Amino acid sequence: MIRFDDVVVRYPRASVDALSGVSLEAHRGALTAVVGPNGSGKSTLVRALIRRTALTRGGIFVDDKPVATMDGAELARTVAVVTQREELAFPVSVLEYVQLGRFPHLGAWHSAGERDRRAVEESIDAAGVRELRERRIDAISGGEWQRVRLARALAQGGSALVLDEPTTFLDVGHEMAVFELLHRLARAGQAVLLVSHQLNLVARFADHMVLFHHGSVSAAGTPDDVMRADVLERVYEWPLVVIRDPAVGAPALVPLRSR
Amino acid sequence: MATRITTYSALRASSSMARVPVFRLRSTVLIFASALSAALSGCRAADAPRVATAAADPVDDFGNRIAITKPPARIVSLNPTTTEILFAIGAGGRLVGRSQYDTFPDSAKTVPSLGPALRPSVEAIVAAKPDLVILYASEDNRPAFDRLRQAGIPTVGFKLDSIDHFRRDTRLLGRITGDSARAVAVVDSVSATLERVRRATANLPRPTVFIPTWEKPIIAIGGGSFLSELVEIAGGTNIYASIPTPSATVTIEDIVARNPDFVLAGRDRERPIRALANWRAIPAVRDNHILAFDFDLISRPSVQLGAAAVAIATLLHPGSVR
Amino acid sequence: MTLARWLMLLASLAVAAFVAIAVGTITVPLSAVFDAFRGVTDSTPAMVVTTLRLPRVALAILIGAGLGMSGAALQGTMRNPLAEPYLLGVSGGAAVGAVIATTLGFGATIVPLAAFVGALTAVGAAFIVARAAGSLGDPRVLLMAGVVVGAFANAAIMVMLANAESNTVRNALWWMMGSVADATRMQITVLFVYVAAGGCALVLLGRQIDILALGEDAAAGLGVDVDRAMRNVFVVASLIAAATVAAAGLVGFVGLVVPHIVRAAGVRHHRSLVAGSAIVGGTLVVLADLLGRILRPPAELPLGAVTALVGVPFFLIKLRRLR
Repeated sequence: MIRFDDVVVRYPRASVDALSGVSLEAHRGALTAVVGPNGSGKSTLVRALIRRTALTRGGIFVDDKPVATMDGAELARTVAVVTQREELAFPVSVLEYVQLGRFPHLGAWHSAGERDRRAVEESIDAAGVRELRERRIDAISGGEWQRVRLARALAQGGSALVLDEPTTFLDVGHEMAVFELLHRLARAGQAVLLVSHQLNLVARFADHMVLFHHGSVSAAGTPDDVMRADVLERVYEWPLVVIRDPAVGAPALVPLRSR
Repeated sequence: MATRITTYSALRASSSMARVPVFRLRSTVLIFASALSAALSGCRAADAPRVATAAADPVDDFGNRIAITKPPARIVSLNPTTTEILFAIGAGGRLVGRSQYDTFPDSAKTVPSLGPALRPSVEAIVAAKPDLVILYASEDNRPAFDRLRQAGIPTVGFKLDSIDHFRRDTRLLGRITGDSARAVAVVDSVSATLERVRRATANLPRPTVFIPTWEKPIIAIGGGSFLSELVEIAGGTNIYASIPTPSATVTIEDIVARNPDFVLAGRDRERPIRALANWRAIPAVRDNHILAFDFDLISRPSVQLGAAAVAIATLLHPGSVR
Repeated sequence: MTLARWLMLLASLAVAAFVAIAVGTITVPLSAVFDAFRGVTDSTPAMVVTTLRLPRVALAILIGAGLGMSGAALQGTMRNPLAEPYLLGVSGGAAVGAVIATTLGFGATIVPLAAFVGALTAVGAAFIVARAAGSLGDPRVLLMAGVVVGAFANAAIMVMLANAESNTVRNALWWMMGSVADATRMQITVLFVYVAAGGCALVLLGRQIDILALGEDAAAGLGVDVDRAMRNVFVVASLIAAATVAAAGLVGFVGLVVPHIVRAAGVRHHRSLVAGSAIVGGTLVVLADLLGRILRPPAELPLGAVTALVGVPFFLIKLRRLR
């Protein structure tokens, strides 16, 4: 439902393309993960989707409609994006923050109606942050903040969810909780597109993996297809082996000591 | 006899009404600095080496002893009043430098201009090779004063805010330049005219007068200025005569509260005053009781003081003085 | 914010305005105030009210409202609690315009116009500098550009004043300290147009500012055209600020402090924040002007000096909160 078609992005005054001819698709009902080393273009992909970066060539389509022609609010109602960073200078309560997610539906003037209120409460429940509802967002932990951000994205009420590194700074427990939630959402019908460093967690939960290297797709397919030692070693430039994790039955990357 | 300069007057430059600027220093820091240097200048005067001469050694308005041994031949005068006085007592030919504002009498214009009267260029003064420099005695000029003295050039500072200043400083100038007789004659002539005007208006009803010199902010002539004294002599009362300094910043509401009968202003300020919307709150402005005087005649406490008094008396009490 | 609170704010403004009209060097009795309102102006106190007090108070309210709204919008858009209306070079540019006009000998009608033009030129220059340095959407870049323009303006002012006549220097300094003493009907009308129109625009942009407060990428993800929204806020806020400077000189700290006061009352959404800042700002400046008139009679403290004094306790409180 989100399709990147031969997308080329070159930042102004840059000598190389940040994305050189990337094509990938994220379908409804599936968790699609984009992985790759630092600087491989993963975040640029997300920025291109929300139109913060202009495309040099190619197109991005949501439900076969070109993103370039869509109204900003329309795009936001269909695709909810959780970016890598978010800083609020003036703290609000968790409830007010999640309510901001309804902006694409409300615009400048309309007041929140019954549907909006229901969407907010459902998102809060889905993200598991009901007990944080009245707290101020500068008074919650990093893990709680990530889940609150997820709640806001859910409140946008779209059918696709795009997340850029949603588990940074999270401990094991919170990380697992987020991945499980994303998996559940995908199973429930959302198109989930995830950018992440966490190769092993991605391998366990993703339906479709895309490996980036220097701005282009190096490998794509199921986790078993992509998690191959020769490919990963070349991309990450570090000696490693890929094993089958006996506890969970998914491929896992094990980095070795440098030679 | 020298009127000791109060800290306050050291602060307010006199409004000799010329373009000699009314530089009103507002900030508290500057008030403290001036108070401090005024106090220090008092100390400095006390520390000046005591030569065993008569106690009648003159002191200038900076508080320093004037030790001039022979009449100067090259005089720089940076003040419209002193320049005019020098010409009146016959010493005009010895002027080698004046300030850009010194334009009376006409012959003064032939003297080379050395720039501003406040914070003058010391280099320009020194280049004129004077053996006497006369500065306006305000704090702005103290650095120049000190540097000229360090360079070995005899320098004096004169205040010239009030009529007493005029009398005293004219006589002093006469002593310094060796033209005492002419100086005394000038002073006496002016005093005589002033007395004549005073007697002519003594028994007439005294209208109250407000004398503005600037509009943004509103600066009024205070009791310490010769202009205020002239108004008294001419049969009027300055509403701000109780303020001891030559000028003061006032507010429009205060003026309305004091409700002057007349506004006395230079001819060039008449139009700006009429144009100000909020001045119409002053009844005198609203009823068009604005008296315009000839700025060039009345702006300096110098040899024209007598004529100035006559002019003001004619405005306040037409026909009272012949 | 509840209706009761809004009404209380409006009532405070009304009371402050009333007191400011009645109190001063001349205490105007209540009867004279009502006379003046009814149009009966033959007595001197009533004349004082209509000619002196009403214009001052009206101008003060507009100045405070404009600066308050501008500051609230800018703080939200730039995600910076220390942002204020003069940020983008408005004060420096206006001062340069005013000093040039004063040096050339122009009077009370041209100086405000020159200040306005100078302010807008400075903001334009800041935009150009920011664009050349990188993105227009990054508030830090714009902030730095504003600092650069402001520094240049200060240098230019110093150069001009160093060789100027004392009268010019005095005029320039007086103008820079801010005052509502010379309020004219024309100034009040023009400023009213700017503040009213600009205020409505900022209130309309309020929701977008709420979203902008999340960060540029996050805001883009929610459907806001970030560059356009930020540009709109900057243009409107700077126009309002420039108009206030043209009318009354530099009045500092109002745009900085007022939004914090309104936020402290629990207002978070920018539509209400902007509107609330208008009312609180108007009240603050009216009171500041009153204070300037009664603190040191018969002299008057310039408005900018009184508002600067307000800044001191404000920063002390903020510092304590930082812990």
